[in-house]
Amino acid sequence: MRSDGSLTALMLFLPPAVLLFSLFVIWPIFTAVDLSFYKWNGYGDVTNFVGFDNYGILLKNSIFHQSLFNSFKLLLASIFLQIPLALVLALLLYRKTSANTAFRLIFFAPYILAEIATGLIWSFIFDGDYGVSAMVADKLGSEPFYILADKQWAFWTIITVVVWKYFGYHMMIFIAALQAVPTDLIEAAEIDGASPLKTIWYVKLPMILHAIKLSVLFAITGALQVFDIIIPLTNGGPSNSTHSIVSFLYTFGLARMNVGFGAAVGVVLFILCVGTAFSYKRLAIDKGGQL
Amino acid sequence: MATLEFKHVNKTFGAVEVIPDVSLFIPHGSFTVFVGPSGCGKSTLLRLAAGLEDISDGTLEIDGKDVTFARPTERGIAMVFQSYALYPHMNVAQNIGFGLKMAGKPKAEIARKVHEAAATLQLDTLLDRKPGELSGGQRQRVAIGRAIVREPKVFLFDEPLSNLDAALRTQMRVELAELHKRLGATMVYVTHDQVEAMTLADQIVVLNKGRIEQVGSPLELYNQPKTLFVAGFIGSPKMNFITGDYATHRQVSTFGVRPEHIDIVTSGAHWTGRVQFSERLGSDTYLYVDVPGTGRLTVRAIGDAAFVGGETIGLAPRANTSHGFDADGRACAVSE
Repeated sequence: MRSDGSLTALMLFLPPAVLLFSLFVIWPIFTAVDLSFYKWNGYGDVTNFVGFDNYGILLKNSIFHQSLFNSFKLLLASIFLQIPLALVLALLLYRKTSANTAFRLIFFAPYILAEIATGLIWSFIFDGDYGVSAMVADKLGSEPFYILADKQWAFWTIITVVVWKYFGYHMMIFIAALQAVPTDLIEAAEIDGASPLKTIWYVKLPMILHAIKLSVLFAITGALQVFDIIIPLTNGGPSNSTHSIVSFLYTFGLARMNVGFGAAVGVVLFILCVGTAFSYKRLAIDKGGQL
Repeated sequence: MATLEFKHVNKTFGAVEVIPDVSLFIPHGSFTVFVGPSGCGKSTLLRLAAGLEDISDGTLEIDGKDVTFARPTERGIAMVFQSYALYPHMNVAQNIGFGLKMAGKPKAEIARKVHEAAATLQLDTLLDRKPGELSGGQRQRVAIGRAIVREPKVFLFDEPLSNLDAALRTQMRVELAELHKRLGATMVYVTHDQVEAMTLADQIVVLNKGRIEQVGSPLELYNQPKTLFVAGFIGSPKMNFITGDYATHRQVSTFGVRPEHIDIVTSGAHWTGRVQFSERLGSDTYLYVDVPGTGRLTVRAIGDAAFVGGETIGLAPRANTSHGFDADGRACAVSE
């Protein structure tokens, strides 16, 4: 028997944690898996067992394919646009000056906004009839441009808004990590003859690699879960071309009362999230040391 | 080898003047130690020499060339930091060779020089290890190795031994002295530890509030301190200072005598006091004696002098070893 009080702490704190985690994470996962084998509209008993039919329909659904591809594009944009942008700005703004603090606040502000508010603000900006873009077009004397209704550009607009909203968050992670890099190391590199760019490459970036890896992990899981920016901006349109996996789930699963089908999408999303996160952890994080 | 010269150097941080006006010449191949209490400006002076801080006014010359506005890498200096400042993601070889890599040296030359430096510092077997896998002393050697490979004109050391334990510090002190002898390079060393200053330096610069109090050899500073501050700072335990009638009778404002220059006497005592406590170190015994009207005097007795606390003893300064200081704290003749 352990006598240092840790057993008491364990008995006291573990059961509520296990209960809450089981209730809100484990149980919904198992329920979703179970529901995905039924055709159910959300009312009445769950009796219409259809086996893997929901998954079969899903695999043949071209909109789902487009949604998957869109989520993949969001993921790439998050890693290759959002993270580098955040990194560059963090390198420019990490030193403690009042001007830098002001810029940090400005760049971090979008992250504080609720996703739905962000979507509404940008949908107003891009509104070709009454929004900012309408005013700009009017001033320029050109025809109004409905970018959110344009199949070619709508998803790129969503990507821009997602990058705009979240880069500040990653920037703050990098700033915190950069501020923790000992000044001595930067000065030693300076004395060793490293130029500012080489100091970044050889000293600062390796020193904040743990933060970059963590940020990329957040970006990956975040990109796979984008939903409430898409709904107010395009609602998945035009012609269902801008759905992410989650907005697809919501639109075709919940909104149309195909709960079983939605659950199948959820299970696929869960597998994708866990698979990607674990693969990334194994490939990038464990290989390069602990976070 | 190179000379280093500060000419009327001034440094301010905003409205705070840290170095008012320093002029100092550091000769070829010397081991110069900047010593002084915390906040005296010794590290700032070293950083000014390194180019890590901008000089507000005045000039700095290395080997006769004005380097006041030169970047650190253009000054031909290498610096060893208090924290070692080793790159934790690089192994020992990469750490030592980093400066050469930045200078664009060929890989073969980098490898050769790294191995030479590693051999000099007994780091040969540790080249593949990361700094986190090294002991404090080994890390310090890597930091020195990183400085050596660049073959700088001037080595700058910023309290390099302060993070080491006492035994390792002594060992590294000897190694540094040997290194200086072997390389014959100009070295500037900052410390607040006067034992390091006395044992390593051939020139000590005592700093106080950003001003140079005295420059000289260790024994010169010990035997002929020019100011009250230097007299109090150099020597351990510190010099006893006596004011009042005793000093006035000797035509000085402050009478100074070192603990090792006070004899315990049975007759002809200048002071009689009670031993409050003693520190028995084996080789020496430090006695702390409360003398009525004078204050507490520290006395160093050779060997293990066993005194019972509370015992009354007579004390007298040894002839020609005392120091006198005027009201401004400047050294003056003392009539014994």
